[in-house]
Amino acid sequence: MNDFSELEDQLGKLRPAQPSPDLTARIERALAAESSTPTAAVLPRERRFHLNWFSLGLGLAAAAALVLFAFLRLQQPLKKTSNVASTSPAPTTLTDQFVAAGLTQVVYHTRDEGLHFPNSSEQPMRRVRSQTRETFQWRNPKTGATLRISYPKENVSLIPVSGQ
Amino acid sequence: MQNVATDENWKTCFSQLAPGLVLFARQWTRSAADAEDVVQEAFVKFWRRHHDISNRGLLYATVRSIALDFIRRDSRRARREATALSDVEPIVQPAFDIEDDSQRALVAALDLLPQEQREVLVMKIWNELTFTEIASALEISQNTAASRYRYALAALKKNLSPAL
Repeated sequence: MNDFSELEDQLGKLRPAQPSPDLTARIERALAAESSTPTAAVLPRERRFHLNWFSLGLGLAAAAALVLFAFLRLQQPLKKTSNVASTSPAPTTLTDQFVAAGLTQVVYHTRDEGLHFPNSSEQPMRRVRSQTRETFQWRNPKTGATLRISYPKENVSLIPVSGQ
Repeated sequence: MQNVATDENWKTCFSQLAPGLVLFARQWTRSAADAEDVVQEAFVKFWRRHHDISNRGLLYATVRSIALDFIRRDSRRARREATALSDVEPIVQPAFDIEDDSQRALVAALDLLPQEQREVLVMKIWNELTFTEIASALEISQNTAASRYRYALAALKKNLSPAL
């Protein structure tokens, strides 16, 4: 017991005024007005996370199919190269080495820096600075694996300007 | 109050909680009718969101939140009415069923308590919430809730010492 037990008893004897009788009816009408409200007399359960086994199974099956598809796609180039090799004049035996397969050069910015006289030249030259991205690609014909290296590059070109 | 957590019938739940909920809401409203409107809105909102009725901290937090919204919505109307009725003695509906003068003095002393102490007292005495639930509803620590409760009782005891 504490110092306030008598006071708590006094407070406990105070009864809150009863709400008006129609309050429950008003709440019932408000709940009924909501079409999605479940049966009024049944306590709706709190929506918590619960595992949907069907969805989980479907998701796992889809993931497995995706992995299988990716695996088959990886295997495919090996078969193709062997088929191509038989009709190609290239050597019939494929080497397990990377061979150059392509070069891509993309100029994405060019700037004209005006006329210059480089190295005490008497003839003016126009300096053009261009920024490119080069991508080299190698391919291993035996495994179908590819190797790609990409890097930025800046070129400065001096273009002779004719006075005529 | 003991069966609230397991009772599946919302009317039963509500009939048990209603007096305490309305008393709780009365702290922020000027009339019992407004308090009932707050409780109705809060209970319907709480129920539609499928919250578990045993989560009383959340229920009282909902009532409190809607009561505070109600004050904000109602402030303009209140100012208008205060201007219009400035010469009229306001009719205050009793929040308790008062049986004698000592209870009347107790209620008067309750009205003098700071809001933060009174709301904890109302939740603890007439709604039988634990300090954990009170802390959850008011978003304060349990120690703070318990301290406010003790301060409230001390203030009441001090004010009522001749009467008790």
